[in-house]
Amino acid sequence: MLLKTNKLMKAFGGLKAINKVDFELPANEIRGIIGPNGSGKSTFFNLVSGVYEPDPGSYIEFDGNDITNEPPHKVGELGLARTFQLLRLYQDMSVINNVMSGYHTLVPYSFIDAVTGRKKIWDQEKTIKEEMMELLSFVGLADYAELNASELSGGQRRLLVLARAIAGKPKLLMLDEPAAGLSPVNVDNLMKILMRLKEKYGLTLIIIEHILKVVMDTCSKVTVLDHGEKIAEGTPTQIKDDNAVIEAYLGKKMDDEEMRKALAV
Amino acid sequence: MDKFKEIIRQYPFLGFVIAFIILMLVPSVFFTDLYQSHLASLICINIIVAAGLNIVKGFCGQVTVGHVGIYAVGSYTAGCMFLYLGSGLWLTLPAAILIAGLFGVAFAIPSFRLEGPYLALATLGGGEAIRLFIENGDFFMSTYGISNIPQPIIFGVPFDTPDKYYYIAMPIMLIAIYFSFSVLRSSVGRAFMAVREDPISAAASGINVKKHKMLAFVLSAMFAGGAGAVYAHLPPGYIHPNNYTVIEMVTFLAMVVFGGLGHIWGGIIGAIIITIVYDLTRPLYEYQLFIFGLTIVLTILFMPKGIGGFIDKYFIDRRFKTKTGAASK
Repeated sequence: MLLKTNKLMKAFGGLKAINKVDFELPANEIRGIIGPNGSGKSTFFNLVSGVYEPDPGSYIEFDGNDITNEPPHKVGELGLARTFQLLRLYQDMSVINNVMSGYHTLVPYSFIDAVTGRKKIWDQEKTIKEEMMELLSFVGLADYAELNASELSGGQRRLLVLARAIAGKPKLLMLDEPAAGLSPVNVDNLMKILMRLKEKYGLTLIIIEHILKVVMDTCSKVTVLDHGEKIAEGTPTQIKDDNAVIEAYLGKKMDDEEMRKALAV
Repeated sequence: MDKFKEIIRQYPFLGFVIAFIILMLVPSVFFTDLYQSHLASLICINIIVAAGLNIVKGFCGQVTVGHVGIYAVGSYTAGCMFLYLGSGLWLTLPAAILIAGLFGVAFAIPSFRLEGPYLALATLGGGEAIRLFIENGDFFMSTYGISNIPQPIIFGVPFDTPDKYYYIAMPIMLIAIYFSFSVLRSSVGRAFMAVREDPISAAASGINVKKHKMLAFVLSAMFAGGAGAVYAHLPPGYIHPNNYTVIEMVTFLAMVVFGGLGHIWGGIIGAIIITIVYDLTRPLYEYQLFIFGLTIVLTILFMPKGIGGFIDKYFIDRRFKTKTGAASK
């Protein structure tokens, strides 16, 4: 198992945002997480990536390491990358610098090398920059490399966030609503890029998404959360027919015709 | 020109050698009296402080108003080492850098929990506490200040006049700039910027936020401490607690803000301009604080990235146009 949580719990005051969630994810899988607003999806991400500290009794394991109480940068170093719902781009940095700072954990030279400014650093920096430019052209942002991230359009920002998360060559990538606010064409484009990146870097993915078409098309398995609890888990087809899921998230059961319409978003 | 740029990019040290030669020639070509040399040394010292301040404020985004206190620590380390041990600049400079670095650690700790105006208040308190401590301690010759701090002697030549001291201050400034450029253009500089822009996102990329805040504070404190020591030895070699008030801090901040926060040249451009303006407005002493306060406010309102950002904008726009132009062909 690449990622495993055991009795994961987090309460904010009286509200149990995540309540005893057991979650297992083998390598190379694409897992979707769905659920109504406030069901704890983002909290789950924040707990796993170390932004929040889980309540006592929880256990999180990533790639064989216990990361239950590790700070976020440690988790990042181990190869778990994530994006944020609100993007959290480095607005005032150039696009290429945004991506290059995602490479931080893999930079081959030490701090002392950096301070003394030895020549080998500039060669290494050049290699890193070339590699990151390649990644940028992969997501189609190479022409904008020197612009400020704040000057990009909404769709381009989502691509940039994706590129920044992948820059560190993670083993597991957790995407928090990667397609929110995108037009249908851009959603398709994003998913295509995502699939190509997955193949190229051998990524394992967890995707939170409200656009069900994305989840149904790309994910091999789906986990459904509601009120902080895992109410269902299975293939997209199983989930679609699960009564608990329909009640909590999808709404009333539809016949095939209606379903096709709803999923065509 | 492009080829020259490429060579400089490959051998950054070469650029500094060229700058050194040019700056060595400046006094004999332009300066007509001793006062201009004195001003040039002062500019060098201010550039060191501003370059350091740019690391912590411009790149790492930590608002510090206590830097003048660390600058004072550097000066008084030099002053006291002369007073009690009789040391010269070559001993006091490293000592000042080291001790200022330790104070940098102390200043960094509040930044782990505090942000923005709250951090500014904490560091302001720290800086003022240092000044008051110096002002009220007999050990520091508070009332009279420390005078006759000696200038260094190299190969029997005393560098005891302003025109000669410039040749001490200028190389030290170049070394400081070299270090600041090296750091800021490396992955560490990028990590600083990431911490400034979004600490949570930076941490998710594997950047240790606390460590980098600490690094930024310590580095910039070392710059301020070194500058303080060079200032203490500046002819006539006299330091007094009154030289390290909030007014000085506002001037330092004005340098960084006006030059361009987070721009690699920001502190340097700002230090040159503001030091000269500071000197020209000396007859208007009562209004100086007002002038620099206004400069900071107006710059932030109308030119948020300072002069450096202005230059950057021009170059980046051009680069983008040429690139997309080539793509459409």
